[in-house]
Amino acid sequence: MDASFDFVYQSPIEKVWSALTNSTKLAKWIMANDFKPVVGHKFQFRTQPTEWWNGIIDCEVLEVDEPHKLSYTWVSGSESTTVTWTLKSVHGTTHLHLEQTGFSGKTQAFEGAKFGWVRMGDQLEKVLAEL
Amino acid sequence: MRLNEKSQVRDVYDAVADPTRRQLLRLLADAEELPLHKLTDRFPMGRTAISKHLTILKEAGLVTDRKVGRETVYRLDASPLKEIEDWVSYYRRFWREKLVLLGHLLQEEDK
Repeated sequence: MDASFDFVYQSPIEKVWSALTNSTKLAKWIMANDFKPVVGHKFQFRTQPTEWWNGIIDCEVLEVDEPHKLSYTWVSGSESTTVTWTLKSVHGTTHLHLEQTGFSGKTQAFEGAKFGWVRMGDQLEKVLAEL
Repeated sequence: MRLNEKSQVRDVYDAVADPTRRQLLRLLADAEELPLHKLTDRFPMGRTAISKHLTILKEAGLVTDRKVGRETVYRLDASPLKEIEDWVSYYRRFWREKLVLLGHLLQEEDK
C-alpha cells in the first residue's frame, strides 16, 4: 500500500519544515496533536470519533533530519503505515514529497508486495469489478 | 470499511511478497477455478511446495478451495486486495486535502 504526492510551495524550506514539525501549526492543517520532532517520541493525532473509529492515530517519530526529512509511523485502527516527508529547496521554493507506505521497517517484503499489487492491478480488474 | 467476514490469520502483504504466490494469483485471476495439478504443472517446484504456497494464500484470505471428486480446486478471492485499494484511495484523498490546507497556511504566514 503506498500513496505518494509531490507539491511545490512558494515558501522557503524552513517555513515548510516548521509547518511540519510545530505542533500548533500541524494542528491547523492535519489534526490536533502532541508532536515533537524527537526520534522515538510517541504522539497522537486526534479528530472527531465516528461510529467505526475512535478518531485517534498513534504515531512514533522515526527520523528527523532538519530541514530535509521527517518520518513517523501512522497507526489508525488496524492499518499500520509509515509517513515520510522529504523537502528540497529549489530557487527559494520548496518541493515537498510525501510517501505513505504499508510497512515500517520491512522494506524488502514491502517492495515485493508493492510490485505484486501493481502487477496484479490490471489483471484483477474484471474480478474487482464484480465485487 | 467493510467488515471482513473471513478470519485472516496471515497478513496479505506477506502473502503477496513471494513471486511464486503472485504468479499463482495471476493464474487464478485468469480462470474461474483451477485444480491443483493444473497449477502445479506451471512451476518447476513440486506439488508439496505449491500446496504450501496455496495454504499461505488461503490463510491470507486470497484463495478458497473445495473438493471436486478427489481433486482440490482453487479459486481467487480478491476482496482482501480491494480492502487495501480502499485504504490507499482514502489516504490519497486525505493527503490531497491536507496538502492544500498546508498551502493556505503557508500563504497566510507569508503575508
